[in-house]
Amino acid sequence: MKCVILAAGEGKRMHPLTYTRPKVMLPIAGKPILEWNLLNARAAGLKEFVFIVSYKSEMVREYFGDGKLWNVKINYVNQGKPLGTAHAIGTVKPFVNDFIVLCGDTIFGINDIKQIAKKGTKIGLVKIDNATEYGIVELKGKHVMKIHEKMDHPVSNVINAGMYHFNKQIFDYIRKTEKSSRGEYEITDSINMLVNKEPMEGVFLKEWRDVVYPWHLLDANEELLKKMKTKIQGTMEKNVVINGTIFVGKGTVIRSGTYIDGPVVIGNDCKIGPNCYIRPYTTIGNHCHVGNACEVKNSIVMDHSNVPHLNYVGDSVIGQNCNLGAGTTVANLRLDKKNVPVVLNGKKIDTKRKKLGAIIGDNVQTGINATINIGSMIGNDVYIGPGGFVKREVTPHTIIL
Amino acid sequence: MCGIIGYVGFREARTVLLESLKRLDYRGYDSAGVAIIDKNLKVYKEIGEIANVEKKIPHLKGSTGVGHTRWATHGGVTKENAHPHISCDKKIAIVHNGIIENHTKLREQLKKKGHRFLSQTDSEVIAHLIDDVYKGNLEEAIFAAIKKIKGSYAIVAVSQDEPGKIVGIRKESPLVIGVGDSENFLASDITAFLKYTNRVMFLNDGELCVITATSINVFDTNKKQIKKKEELINWDVTDAEKSGFPHFMLKEIYDQPDSIHHVLRGRISEMEETITFPEAVEKLLRSEINSIHIVACGTSFYAGLVGKYLIEQHTNIPVFAEIASEYRYFGSRNESSLVIAITQSGETADTLAALREAQSSGCKTLVITNVIGSTATRIADGYILQQSGPEIGVAATKTFTSQIVVLFLIALKIALLQKKLGSDELYNYLFHLKALPRQVRDVLERSNDIIAIAKQLKDAKSVFFIGRGTNFPLSLEGALKLKEISYIHAEGFAAGELKHGPFALLTKDTPVVAIVTQDETYEKILANIGEIKARGSPVIAIAEDKDTEIENHADFVLRFQSSSHVLPCIPITVVLQLLAYHVAYLRKCPIDKPRNLAKSVTVE
Amino acid sequence: MIKKAVILAAGEGKRLRPFTETMPKVMLPVANKPLLEYVFDATRKSGIDEIIVVVGYKKEVIMEHFKDYKNIKITYVTQDRQLGTAHALLQAKKHIKDTFIVLAGDNIIDPGSIAKLMKDPSEYSLLIKEHPHPSKYGVVFVENRNISRIVEKPKEDIGKYISTGIYKLPHSVFNDIERCTSEGAHALSTVIQSLIEKGKHINTLLAKSWMDIVYPWDLITVNETMIQKTSEYTSGTIEKGVTIKGPVSIGKDTKIYAGCYIVGPVVIGDGCEIGPQACIFPSTSIGKNTVVHPFSEIRSSVIMDDVHIASTAHISHSVIGKGCIIGDNFSTISEKAIIEIDNEFKKLETPIGTMMGEDCIIESHVVVDPGKIIGRKCRISPMKQIRKNIPSESKVM
Repeated sequence: MKCVILAAGEGKRMHPLTYTRPKVMLPIAGKPILEWNLLNARAAGLKEFVFIVSYKSEMVREYFGDGKLWNVKINYVNQGKPLGTAHAIGTVKPFVNDFIVLCGDTIFGINDIKQIAKKGTKIGLVKIDNATEYGIVELKGKHVMKIHEKMDHPVSNVINAGMYHFNKQIFDYIRKTEKSSRGEYEITDSINMLVNKEPMEGVFLKEWRDVVYPWHLLDANEELLKKMKTKIQGTMEKNVVINGTIFVGKGTVIRSGTYIDGPVVIGNDCKIGPNCYIRPYTTIGNHCHVGNACEVKNSIVMDHSNVPHLNYVGDSVIGQNCNLGAGTTVANLRLDKKNVPVVLNGKKIDTKRKKLGAIIGDNVQTGINATINIGSMIGNDVYIGPGGFVKREVTPHTIIL
Repeated sequence: MCGIIGYVGFREARTVLLESLKRLDYRGYDSAGVAIIDKNLKVYKEIGEIANVEKKIPHLKGSTGVGHTRWATHGGVTKENAHPHISCDKKIAIVHNGIIENHTKLREQLKKKGHRFLSQTDSEVIAHLIDDVYKGNLEEAIFAAIKKIKGSYAIVAVSQDEPGKIVGIRKESPLVIGVGDSENFLASDITAFLKYTNRVMFLNDGELCVITATSINVFDTNKKQIKKKEELINWDVTDAEKSGFPHFMLKEIYDQPDSIHHVLRGRISEMEETITFPEAVEKLLRSEINSIHIVACGTSFYAGLVGKYLIEQHTNIPVFAEIASEYRYFGSRNESSLVIAITQSGETADTLAALREAQSSGCKTLVITNVIGSTATRIADGYILQQSGPEIGVAATKTFTSQIVVLFLIALKIALLQKKLGSDELYNYLFHLKALPRQVRDVLERSNDIIAIAKQLKDAKSVFFIGRGTNFPLSLEGALKLKEISYIHAEGFAAGELKHGPFALLTKDTPVVAIVTQDETYEKILANIGEIKARGSPVIAIAEDKDTEIENHADFVLRFQSSSHVLPCIPITVVLQLLAYHVAYLRKCPIDKPRNLAKSVTVE
Repeated sequence: MIKKAVILAAGEGKRLRPFTETMPKVMLPVANKPLLEYVFDATRKSGIDEIIVVVGYKKEVIMEHFKDYKNIKITYVTQDRQLGTAHALLQAKKHIKDTFIVLAGDNIIDPGSIAKLMKDPSEYSLLIKEHPHPSKYGVVFVENRNISRIVEKPKEDIGKYISTGIYKLPHSVFNDIERCTSEGAHALSTVIQSLIEKGKHINTLLAKSWMDIVYPWDLITVNETMIQKTSEYTSGTIEKGVTIKGPVSIGKDTKIYAGCYIVGPVVIGDGCEIGPQACIFPSTSIGKNTVVHPFSEIRSSVIMDDVHIASTAHISHSVIGKGCIIGDNFSTISEKAIIEIDNEFKKLETPIGTMMGEDCIIESHVVVDPGKIIGRKCRISPMKQIRKNIPSESKVM
């Protein structure tokens, strides 16, 4: 049986991180969301995958290749235009028979995948507190009656978790699906046709985490890091202090004076220290440099980025290939201790967090002593000159001197 | 000049081929056809639009096929002459873009061997040549067959006995590989498959590729396998929409206020009084330049002629504007010559040939183009992008005005570097350059006046355009636009040349459009108008708002706004474009696809 | 499901001269977006697929601006002579086959109200709004949620609801329109009144937010309201020593030079050059490609595209039309003034500065009294104090 994963979406609410990568490639605890799903599906017994790609598909392909590194087989199908979930799933018809579908931007647990993979047409469900943002699923006993669109006053709090088990029949329903009021071909409409003809079982999932905005990555990161066990593959010099769990990748050198409060993940080929302080729920990617007199707390730093000298980074996400000049600091707490607001895609949003640093896209360079204010959303390829001050939302390719 | 496409993968070849052909039809569209392997090789072709072929093709399951849109070069427009062409046993199909020079001889030889021909095209010999040596392996047969061909080609072939495989080979005509997921493409042009993949591999001359749904193998002329690098294209696949305009050409005329802004944006600063180009270009302009040669074709050549006036007026460098196809036959050039090639598409064959010619003579080369990543940008030492956005209408409009603005910036930049331009003067120029988009908008709002004049011209058999100074190349362009899309005969002349011959053609039935600007050419052009009126021809003047005198000379006046004579050619050009457009509209001509013409001419 | 909307955008907007001498009313910009674009956006967000836009006066300005507008199908129909709203709507007849929405292109409406109208099951429906001074509009009298009477521009302030002009109508209304226009009645409200008299029920729904611009000074107040809702972006190049406070939007390729002090809400378009040391204060919109030289101060104003403001200018509560070239030390005086317009005198409740049409050339050290309207293409010599309105194309020597 094949596992089809939807990996074509941009995820506009994840700007600025998704200007340069599809949402499924956002890393949590050192691995892209898509890789967590692949690993969990593999552990659930699935060995053959079809990734439906489109937006920035090269990022997915370059990372996963044909799946050899994970001992699985991966085929790619390009969706072309983003016409909706039904259209996407429809493109894999020549490749599958009985198959499961995962929406690639949510991490699903191993046992839940095993349940969905059992025989029969199924859909993954989950109960959540605030259901106004999701489609509600109406059940009769175990079976699905209808999937409703978003409602202001939801009839229940059971929502579609984004995992399905279909057989070849679904393609007939997909062919008959018409455009929704959003102008897309939605799989939920196809399912509403399916349940009139055959039974579809609703399976309640035990693990489900949806990431919508960039700061949700920090929450997801924290949750995954809590489950981690210590493993040290790199080298550690003398006089390095480690408290709690820590993962250190191959080729990484941790130099004297480094003080780490886990759980912390550090990738491969990194240079850490001397004399730096890394605090809990921090994930450092591969080929990174966290240098002297730097403190990093509750943050995600992606591959090839540097926090090299006299920096403070707290409650932030830093993209790939970034370099912070010496003395660059990120503020993460308001003086009046209120919630941190951000401006995302031009609109102001309350993050409901007391602490939030900056969300920084790829290839951002800052000069010495640059100052990044709380809740800054910095686009890719932005250049911040020495002493520059950044706040709110900065579009890609902007120069702040 | 045609468009070719090959597909092998998991989707229905019918859908993919038709979709891609629709994107390629700007290259040529008098007929089209596809060949799909669905158990057997099935061929469908028709004259006229792609929609005509589409109706004929049933829903086939096959996912291997080739397709073609044709712009006739050899043989008339008939169903038999349309591609794909097939072998006698109907098992091999090919599509071809290019010209086979020795096709007559090859045809004779093949006929003697018993091959029967169904068309009068040069391309058909390719199918039979391959068939003649085919022993079950398509690429071996093609390697052998092309040894006999003299000419230019981009060929994609399929064989019924080898389903799931397409083979392509190119020499001088473009052919690009589209790298997909579980599917692959071959096409004349990236836009054909951009909807499905944005990964490409460029084939060089002489290279052959064997493509299946999951593999791409490229071989050089010695049959040695070579590795090709995959490149990522970042173009937007947004469908060019007409957004309520009846034709792309009209929309592109209306694009000009923005497209002119885009040429200037990021390159000029009023506050800092600077003009900035990319480093490679600045290096070229800073170097020692003894002469400048501008090479181009068609409308771009006329832009080049305007550029000659502009550069010589502001610098002391002699400038030669040459038609690209003639360039190879003359010209003295050396290492201190700067050759500026102007090609909107970056693929115009004649201009590329001139560029290569210039390089082999050791000249410095600079390209002005609209397409990033095009062949011209990869050949020249430096390039300046027009940033005009895609131009779909066959007749060039916004690319012409953008090219003139770029040339003016080059003229000013060189003048600055030569210290012939003071800072006040530069400020003045930059200030007035920024006013150009508003002057264009002003002309657009006078459309009704232009439509009134178009009504006068629509039944004319012949129209003449005259101008002096920079208005002379505009008269050539005005005539070209009218010819191209309304099919009325038109000619442009330097006003001073009329009396040396062309006057003989003037009668009361030959309207003359005179371009009049209040500069050093003013008195003389008024005198020319007088001479023309004495012969009874109606005169339509294109003149500035402030010019009250012109009404005493011309029969009709079309007005434009000009500020301090900085590039009045821009608003004047828009008047000429709208005039041609509305005449063609009144005559119900197919404005976006004039007969016998195609965009981006890649045949020499 | 209703898929089409007709947007009426053919009118001139004579009361908004001199700005409407060069563009139709629907293209007047607030917070750097033409009024018509707000209507297009609201229509698109409420789920309409296709809009039929009735154009007329200066239609090229509209077609040029929207040539790259995506995500909705646009069809233009031309009303050759501006005879009235019903006559305008009639031009769209051949594109409409079912129930549809009609809206005015020059009023800002929120998408929720349009969606509410679309979902309403009545055959005829109208969005209405409470208004303190209804005399300039179509006044609506309501009984049991239906319209009992609709009176166009009554002389006195009667009633409390006005018609927004946004209707949901069945295709059959075209027959009624043809009947009325052939009898010489060209206003849509007259057609609706005749339907009421024939016994048809026109349901009314309250619109959530609706804004109109009647006079040139309304641009400033509506700009102030709409600028609060615009997206904020920082783009372009920001030099060192620039202070930006509050919500400020800076366009692509715009350069803000050192020492500028910008306090939001402020919107600055693409391709501008601001500063060094210029000050931009709240509720100011600056269009595209505008240059502001050092030490100038701009406050609560609408500056359109391609404007050139030289050093040390002081502009407050003013509207400066496209392409104006303003010399150094130019000053507007803003106070609660009495403005003469259309042979009437209007007393304003809020301060007002200068309203200047397109392409004016103002030389050095010119001062303008509050509430003065300067026409388009005027030329004012140095050191002048402007004490009265200046008609278009005049010279003040």
